[in-house]
Amino acid sequence: MKEKQTYAEIMEARGIDRREFMKYCSLLSVYLGLGAAGLPRMLKAMETKPRIPVIWLHGLECTCCTESFIRSAHPVVADIVLNMISLDYDDTLSAAAGHQLEAVRKQIMKEYKGQYILAVEGNAPTKDNGVYCMVAGDSFLNLLKETAADAMAVISWGTCASFGCVHNAKPNPTGAQPVHKLISGKPIVNVPGCPPIAEVMTGTIAHLLTFGKLPELDRQGRPKAFYGTRIHDKCSRRSYFDAGMFVESFDDEGAQKGWCLYKMGCKGPTTYNSCSSMKWNDGVSFPIQSGHPCIGCSEPNFWDNGPFYTRLANVPFVGTDSNADRIGLVAVGAAAAGVAAHAIGSAIKKKSDDNGTEE
Amino acid sequence: MAKLYQEQYVWRLPVRWYHWINAITVTLLFLTGIYIATPIFVPAVGEATWYHSMAWIRYIHFGSAFIFIANFLFRMYWGLFGKDPYARFAGFKPWKPLWWGQPFRDQLASYFFLRKDEPNYCGHNPVAALTYFLFIFSGSLFMIITGLAMYSESNPGGFLDKLFGWVIPIFGGSMRVHTVHHLVAWAFVVFLVIHLYAIVRHDIMDKSSVTSSMITGFKTRVEECPEYAD
Repeated sequence: MKEKQTYAEIMEARGIDRREFMKYCSLLSVYLGLGAAGLPRMLKAMETKPRIPVIWLHGLECTCCTESFIRSAHPVVADIVLNMISLDYDDTLSAAAGHQLEAVRKQIMKEYKGQYILAVEGNAPTKDNGVYCMVAGDSFLNLLKETAADAMAVISWGTCASFGCVHNAKPNPTGAQPVHKLISGKPIVNVPGCPPIAEVMTGTIAHLLTFGKLPELDRQGRPKAFYGTRIHDKCSRRSYFDAGMFVESFDDEGAQKGWCLYKMGCKGPTTYNSCSSMKWNDGVSFPIQSGHPCIGCSEPNFWDNGPFYTRLANVPFVGTDSNADRIGLVAVGAAAAGVAAHAIGSAIKKKSDDNGTEE
Repeated sequence: MAKLYQEQYVWRLPVRWYHWINAITVTLLFLTGIYIATPIFVPAVGEATWYHSMAWIRYIHFGSAFIFIANFLFRMYWGLFGKDPYARFAGFKPWKPLWWGQPFRDQLASYFFLRKDEPNYCGHNPVAALTYFLFIFSGSLFMIITGLAMYSESNPGGFLDKLFGWVIPIFGGSMRVHTVHHLVAWAFVVFLVIHLYAIVRHDIMDKSSVTSSMITGFKTRVEECPEYAD
């Protein structure tokens, strides 16, 4: 492994000219919400700081985060960041495999003790000593704890690593737990989404690499720059929501005219992500723009807040899936029935009392 | 046995105002809230600039919510510092065993038909006080906190977000907060059914005129008078 090159040097070696380099840095500082003032800081960091190795682990997941990441719309970003990572350790993307790859991981952990970044895609099952996810002959739970112990910071890629996603949805048979519940004492950043937007991923990792610390996080450990607002609040169909113009079925006229998908179960109003502002695939589109309601994939418990196509979430109620309105109506019905029974009792009592008085 | 009816001024004007503002805002909040979750008046044609139905319904919901909160805070003030013996919270001490003593048991026994006569109370009877605490105080507080947390979502980092934003992770996401807010809203309807029944029943059973007392302020005190022997 070559010693301590800076990012600028790596880029130069790869034939990226100064102009491209400047463009990349300005793009990043805008993505990270640093604005024009952030550019000189970004440039300085890129030119002076040695590159930081990244170990990218895969637990219980579907690799959609990696798929999203390698499709980053801006080739410069993808090329630079991705090469910095794949050089080191990523069991999906590395050319090496088996013992060879594990040796690389051990080497990085030793040589860069307390200096490397641990990126985790997926979560770890905790039941039965974590046997439900085994990597290189050991449980992923052990691997994760071992690798995290000497990491500078931990990035939780996707909803799996951030909140648990489908793996810890009810009834969670493997006892899957998100990364932040398994690792303590390390700075952890959650980058939820199923998958997260590629530019959000590169932006987060670039911030860590260049400044050596996590970006500003919100209450749920997500970078504020990307998860600060709800999809609903920047949605291109928002005016139809306020007007009360809703799609009622997927082939009605409203659907054809691009009305609001709220009644089709859109979770935009309760989902924090950048889909409606940054969009996907080089800004081509995002689910709502393409006519499908948001399923809230970057929110905790999103599998248990279903169904995807109704506004009201299912609520378990005496062994069935009900919803708030049905439970409410049952409760009001029960109260009414109780009141009616009590009224009959009162009438009988009054009659007997009146009779008693007359006697 | 004859009965003596005596009128007594119980509910002072601030309490009556509170009651009716509360009744109106809760009704508005429930109806608009249900509509927000399930909007039904969807126009067939048009441009988004022509209509504002959802915006208006939400405006009414949020507007009445702030009136409801102000009213709630006023009642808290009146209950804690107001010089009004029947509206003060000082007597409400459910953490003390004494509070669950004779008056409470008498009233409960009467509701369960275990007692012949109807006990009389000038202010709230203890069972009623307990239901007001559960539904009107705790229920309102829950709705105010979850409601303000959701309201704050439209201005991340703002004043309300700083005060109430912590609520959302506690429930495990914004969708969960919406669901519990929606569920607890129905508790107010359950309360309404019981409340309306109870006041009408009291009027018939013990003639204490509780129903009209919330307008006039006067409750009727009923006392058994021993009849004179000839």
